Amino acid sequence: MSTLSNLLAPLTEPFGYAFMQRALLSCALIGFTNGFLGTFIILRRQALLADALSHSLLPGLAVAAMLVGLSTLGLLLGGLMAALLVAIGGQLMARNSRLKDETAVASLYIIAFALGIVLIRFAKVKVDLSHFLFGNILGVGNGDLWISYAAAFVTLTTLVLFQRPLLLTLFDATVARASGIRIGWIETGLLALTVLGLVASLQAVGVLLSLGLLILPAATAYLLTDSFSRMLWGGAFLGLLSATGGLLLSFFANIPSGPCIVLLMALFMGVAYLFSPRYGVVTRLFRGRHFHEESLGRWEGHQGHDHQVPQGKDER
Amino acid sequence: MTPRDPSPLLNIEDLTVSYHRVPAIHHLSLSLSRGHRVGLFGPNGAGKSTLLKAVAGLVVPETGTITIANQKIAKAAPRIAYLPQRESVDWDFPVTVRGLVEMGRYHHVGLLGSFSKADNEAVQHALELFDLAPLAGRQIKELSGGQQQRAFLARAWAQEADLYLLDEPFAGLDKGNAGALAKALRTLGEQGKLLLVSHHALSEATELFDMAVLLNGEMIACGPTAEVLSPQHLECAYGTAVYSGGHHHHDRA
Repeated sequence: MSTLSNLLAPLTEPFGYAFMQRALLSCALIGFTNGFLGTFIILRRQALLADALSHSLLPGLAVAAMLVGLSTLGLLLGGLMAALLVAIGGQLMARNSRLKDETAVASLYIIAFALGIVLIRFAKVKVDLSHFLFGNILGVGNGDLWISYAAAFVTLTTLVLFQRPLLLTLFDATVARASGIRIGWIETGLLALTVLGLVASLQAVGVLLSLGLLILPAATAYLLTDSFSRMLWGGAFLGLLSATGGLLLSFFANIPSGPCIVLLMALFMGVAYLFSPRYGVVTRLFRGRHFHEESLGRWEGHQGHDHQVPQGKDER
Repeated sequence: MTPRDPSPLLNIEDLTVSYHRVPAIHHLSLSLSRGHRVGLFGPNGAGKSTLLKAVAGLVVPETGTITIANQKIAKAAPRIAYLPQRESVDWDFPVTVRGLVEMGRYHHVGLLGSFSKADNEAVQHALELFDLAPLAGRQIKELSGGQQQRAFLARAWAQEADLYLLDEPFAGLDKGNAGALAKALRTLGEQGKLLLVSHHALSEATELFDMAVLLNGEMIACGPTAEVLSPQHLECAYGTAVYSGGHHHHDRA
């Protein structure tokens, strides 16, 4: 027994440190929440907007560091303000000029990013830029954990509560509007949650990699299922799994946690891309290319269209 | 069908919709009651799509009112089903045919309510009514164009809509699928639904629709299909004849 526990000791080692416990808990919360949120962002086709917003956090973080130092709440509010300014500013610019909105948002975010790098030099305290860019999960304090709890709670309750109107809007915004859904509110709410999700994942993976937690798990789930709710919960589960798994890997391999988490997510996504039972690139090579029975059915049937349906193939 | 019809379902009075001051529909009035399949005819730019969008509440009228059973359209939203044009749908969306039809029940079950037996029965009934039951488990991309149209009709039926707005539903359908769609529309008409359908081709119009509205910015004619699509009216809509009569400006210069 004791030899077994001696053998396992290195494996259980990370769970013994308080900083590691906090980091794991934080990763689990953020991984799950952002994986869940990712489904909405992907189906709304806003992955690149989310990327723009993630870069625009930086000047907000810098201004917060200048004004109030490295308090977590200050950084959160700073990042939130900066991203909202870019999002709203982009919309205003697009509305009042000839620029299309993706040009306007892209211009603003890259300007904001450059501004952030300059501003960070003027921070009161000495700030390591790389912590903002790539995260510093092992530095998670109890205050940061509360931010994670709050972000997870707000995001998950909002999304679960409004899942149905959200689904209708994502599927077809025009029809959703005709059926009486206030899609303006839905879109603004989704944008606000995206910014919250990005800010909440800063500590774990930083500005540059925060997009990964939002996009990769949900994209993986999208490759695997045709059910909206399975995509939601599957994305959340994959997010949790790869965020915590990536953190543990980074501990053992002694490499930075952010890239480790994102690369583990990439591994899952790669497997789904190649071997998804329905949409995998490799799987499709080895599968019948069409519904044989459907074509044959035309001849057995009477009228010559879509009454005969293959049995068994449609179950999934 | 006169404007004095005792209980019109859809009532449009003095409707004008314009884009950048160019009117797409100009002071149009129209009353339609349940149980009719109404074809909407007119040349390109006659305002067919605009009329459908105005009734769906998607464009804001400049003048006039639209009511559904004497209710403002904002209040009557669940009773209206606007069927999207093919291009506006993301066919890769993770939803099966059954999932699509279930969306029609959402306003009955509310934000978090679970589906009751009656809700599930309505979904199943809708699937069967439009010959979709064997396809219920398929992702929506794995249907033919005609089946996709019928899936959206099934969703509207599950929603218990009274007024169906269809923008060019026959576009791109082959003969077999067009026949199945026509049959589905007839079934809906027999159930007392009102269908307003924009349509391009004039051939077979009398078989598809029992009533027609002929537009060219202004209302040219409205009534039984054969009467509306008379040579004189068509000349007026598609030809070079100058519209005279009807409305005159009396507000602004």
